[in-house]
Amino acid sequence: MDMNSIPMVVRGCRLHPTQDVLLMPEGTLELNGSSRDVLARVDGNRDVTAIVQELVQEYEGALEAEIRTDVLALLQDLKQRGVLRERI
Amino acid sequence: MSTTPSALNSTPRPLSLIAELTHRCPLHCLYCSNPIEMRKAADELTTEDWERVFREAAALGVLQLSLTGGEPLVRKDLAQLIASGRKAGLYVNMITSAVGLTEERLAELVEAGLEHLQLSFQDIDEASANYIAGTKAHAIKLALAPVIRKFQLAFTVNLVVHRMNLDRLEQFIAMAEELGPDRLEIAHVQYYGWALKNRSLLMPTEKQVHRSLEIVAKAKERLRGTIQLESVFPDYYGSFPKACVGGWGRQMMLIDPVGNALPCHAAAVIPNLEFDNVRAHELGWIWRESSAFQRFRGDAWMPGTCLECPRKEIDFGGCRCQAFLLTGDAKAIDPVCRYSPSHGLLESLRTAGAQPLPIWRNESNREPPGSAGGYLPT
Repeated sequence: MDMNSIPMVVRGCRLHPTQDVLLMPEGTLELNGSSRDVLARVDGNRDVTAIVQELVQEYEGALEAEIRTDVLALLQDLKQRGVLRERI
Repeated sequence: MSTTPSALNSTPRPLSLIAELTHRCPLHCLYCSNPIEMRKAADELTTEDWERVFREAAALGVLQLSLTGGEPLVRKDLAQLIASGRKAGLYVNMITSAVGLTEERLAELVEAGLEHLQLSFQDIDEASANYIAGTKAHAIKLALAPVIRKFQLAFTVNLVVHRMNLDRLEQFIAMAEELGPDRLEIAHVQYYGWALKNRSLLMPTEKQVHRSLEIVAKAKERLRGTIQLESVFPDYYGSFPKACVGGWGRQMMLIDPVGNALPCHAAAVIPNLEFDNVRAHELGWIWRESSAFQRFRGDAWMPGTCLECPRKEIDFGGCRCQAFLLTGDAKAIDPVCRYSPSHGLLESLRTAGAQPLPIWRNESNREPPGSAGGYLPT
């Protein structure tokens, strides 16, 4: 996962419309507030750069470098868990 | 005896609702986990009953709905039930044998909102698979896999393993991979319901279990990033019990075909448990107040050994149905636990005895219905 990657959730995985959980076959993954904000932007069209830029706008005063690190770490973790993949 | 206040004794919200839509099923698997006494079609809940149950479940905090049976496809209102589950805000899973499923029907179910389909396989070759399933289903399942893959739907292949097929586990996994699932479950048979009747036939040998654990670990590594592999450990070979259904009355509710609310699949085997029915009570009331859900919730029921054991926060005291089925006492320590005085019983069951004959889930209890005639797997 790098800044040019285009992440997407795998088939059968979706964000709960109102609650901070990611739903998947026979399971759920609880999300904290900011990971929900990241995942809400994972649509198979935006690349990581675009996601980070939007979050920089959203979180006024936060350092872009920190957001970038956090977003990449989260996406990498979710990829490891098998709920995200990179669009080829 | 000292007891420390534990988070175990709060009433958490349920996450998962298992809807056993029917006990009718075209399969008669030797390892079927459904109760021995099955519910008749005429007594099944109506569409409206289920729709209300789904809404009440979502209001209670449930996120996952699993439609199962029996075979859910025999319900003519299945698409409507799926749509109602989705409308209520639930994630909709279906566990099916695929017998009776066509591309048109599946399109209808996906259109209604089905998100995940699980299909189980009995063995690698047709004769043996059909023998275990008690019906000619293997070819139907194989033919449907590519049809399922045409849809935007998560697909799990479930391999049910036991003594009769474990020696072919590597080929079995290879067969599953060919079907292109998103997830692969390798589940050792659990001994409840009909499976318990056939336990001596299905119980793997120690050698098979150890070999299977290695094969599963290797497959998990190899398939990482392509197929998510989950495995269910054969708990008769364990030293500590499983956290059965995530703890009694903690995460899961099961509604049987006639509307009785159970804390797990097998709970009806436990004597003197009274199940409340969704026709008479709101689901939230059942979750909080039903005596069956309260019976083994928390740690008040636990024997001293469990009460003082730090593992009670991990396994919640193991499986109550298994404790009852193996010791006759539902409050006993789960015999899977090394600290159970009955643990030796499991050790003795691990030794394979003479190969017994299968007991079939049909009227005659002798011949597999529609079987290949006298075929016995090696």
